[in-house]
Amino acid sequence: MLEIKNLHAKVGDKEILKGIDLSVGAGEVHAIMGPNGSGKSTLSYLLSGREGYEVTKGSVTYKGQDLLALSVDERAAAGVFLAFQYPIEIPGVTTMTFLKAALNSVRKARGEDELDAPRFLKLVREKAKPLNVADDMLKRALNVGFSGGEKKRAEILQMSLLEPSLAILDETDSGLDIDALKVVADGVNALRSPDRAMIVITHYQRLLDYIVPDIVHVLSKGKIVRTGGKELAGELERTGYAEFAA
Amino acid sequence: MTDAARTFVETYERERDGLPANGLDWLVALRDKAIADFAASGLPHRRLEDWRYTDLARVLEKATLSPAPSRQGDMAWPDASAIKVFDAADRYIVIFVNGVLQSKLSDLPVGVSVSSLGDALSADWAKVLVETRVSEAQATNVTAINLALMRDGLVLDLAKGVKLDKPLHLVHLAVDDGASHRRNLVRLDDGAEATVYESYVGAGATNYFADVVTNVSLGTEARLMHIKVQDEAADAIHLATLTAMLGARSYFSSFTMTLGSALSRNQTFVRFDGEGAEAHVNGATALRGRQHGDQFCIVDHAVPGCASATLFRTVLDDASTGVFQGKVVVRPHAQKTDGRQMSNALLLSRDAAMNAKPELEIYADDVQCAHGSTIGELNREALFYLRSRGIDEQSARQLLISAFLDEAFETVPDEAAREGLRALAADWFRLTLKEDA
Repeated sequence: MLEIKNLHAKVGDKEILKGIDLSVGAGEVHAIMGPNGSGKSTLSYLLSGREGYEVTKGSVTYKGQDLLALSVDERAAAGVFLAFQYPIEIPGVTTMTFLKAALNSVRKARGEDELDAPRFLKLVREKAKPLNVADDMLKRALNVGFSGGEKKRAEILQMSLLEPSLAILDETDSGLDIDALKVVADGVNALRSPDRAMIVITHYQRLLDYIVPDIVHVLSKGKIVRTGGKELAGELERTGYAEFAA
Repeated sequence: MTDAARTFVETYERERDGLPANGLDWLVALRDKAIADFAASGLPHRRLEDWRYTDLARVLEKATLSPAPSRQGDMAWPDASAIKVFDAADRYIVIFVNGVLQSKLSDLPVGVSVSSLGDALSADWAKVLVETRVSEAQATNVTAINLALMRDGLVLDLAKGVKLDKPLHLVHLAVDDGASHRRNLVRLDDGAEATVYESYVGAGATNYFADVVTNVSLGTEARLMHIKVQDEAADAIHLATLTAMLGARSYFSSFTMTLGSALSRNQTFVRFDGEGAEAHVNGATALRGRQHGDQFCIVDHAVPGCASATLFRTVLDDASTGVFQGKVVVRPHAQKTDGRQMSNALLLSRDAAMNAKPELEIYADDVQCAHGSTIGELNREALFYLRSRGIDEQSARQLLISAFLDEAFETVPDEAAREGLRALAADWFRLTLKEDA
């Protein structure tokens, strides 16, 4: 599904990614762990198409096409989804209006018919229920005044509606207490499927107790320095990142 | 004197004896004095603080300022969104062509009088309304031209406790080039209520000067809602002045949507005359090309215990220019005043410019006042977020701009009109964003 080869990227004059190789197949859940400043968020933003990152070398192939050649919204339509570490607050746009615009844009791009208001409402309620997203929250402006937990649940709701092929979860556990973490993890786990790949980016092992990965990578100073099974996460929790930091 | 100013003076000399209600000595004297004052001071220039950002004299030099002809008879009803915006409401409609009232309304409720300016000026209250200056800022402004040359206008007079059963919609059509000076008078006696819509539309004319003054007087507990859409032709000049004197516990709400004309200035002067009254002066402006739109607003808290709120939202594309000048004055005895004023502008282009000057002038100590102004561009993080969910760039921009203007539309108390205004704004984005693409 996703092939990253020798990816180098810089922000301004600073090289952040220094040769990343990563291959993620359909149905797989990969965790990328690493200390602060290792390039985790840069990688996730770069894959989603945010401006300000310059790829200097290497390639990213997604479903056989050059992902880097696609615009932000084309990537989303093609099935790439980034769950943000810090979802942006958008005053004046209600969550419901936003969800409908997003879903219908993606459906249109995929050649599916746009949903009318009743069908859309039914679908949103069905997806919102297991995530404890109440109607009241959907009527509020997107992410404005949402608690940390509400923001992350709203992200997972978007993911559940847009049904991406490749989901990237950037520090989804940050700012969540244990109950909120469980709700979010359940939501993510419900979306695991043989057609869908996930990249879970996290600093701590805690999230991986709930979203159990198939493969764990350690990112340090812009490179993947170690790859292993899910037990690697536990090992890192005990030893810390010290051995990779220096 | 500039050529434009000379044209106004000469027009007055020529038309003086044919102007409406010219049998009223007080009115003739007032007009003579107005034109003499105007001849002495000339058109406002940018050295005057109130006119710092808007060069009216310069654009008037290029305008056709001879009087637009009077027309009577059947007119093709223009297919204008600025008129259709009010279609959802069952309403009375009166039409002005080139500033001259065309229609007479029948079947009005008892206690409601709608007449033309000439017929109404003989009433004592009309005299008071025309003579009173609501703000000192008016002394240096251009209403003298209107006072001298006013030819027609709508006069709405509601007796005590009378509620106008349907909104009254004033449709102003500019069919021929030239200048039109109209004066509307609105008097609501104690406890009376009315909603007035206004649409200003270019309907054939291209080079014209639409000059309108509206004088409002509200009695105790009277309520007036005013919603105006200005969508004049691309080269037109639109100058509107609204004065409102508010009685005790009255309610006044005004919303102006500015879309049209090469240069427009919308001036609002509100004065509280009785305690416990409430005023809302709001608006939304969306300009492109080289359009210039000026919102000027003075709210005078002359008595205690009144509340005022002003919110203007402005979206500027291309090389357009926006202006907000607002002042809240709180007089020494006007304790317990609540005054709020805010201007927010969104620039969609590097060539667009916004000038904002919010002012507070407070002479009382037990008051709550707040004001502010922001000027910014679309939030790039928000755009990225929306696009990362598959929403294309144009739609994402439209969502954000709509949301920005929507806070202004939220202040419109009339739901049908609010939806109409939203649709009007959406039309504007579609056209603007298509041109940008």
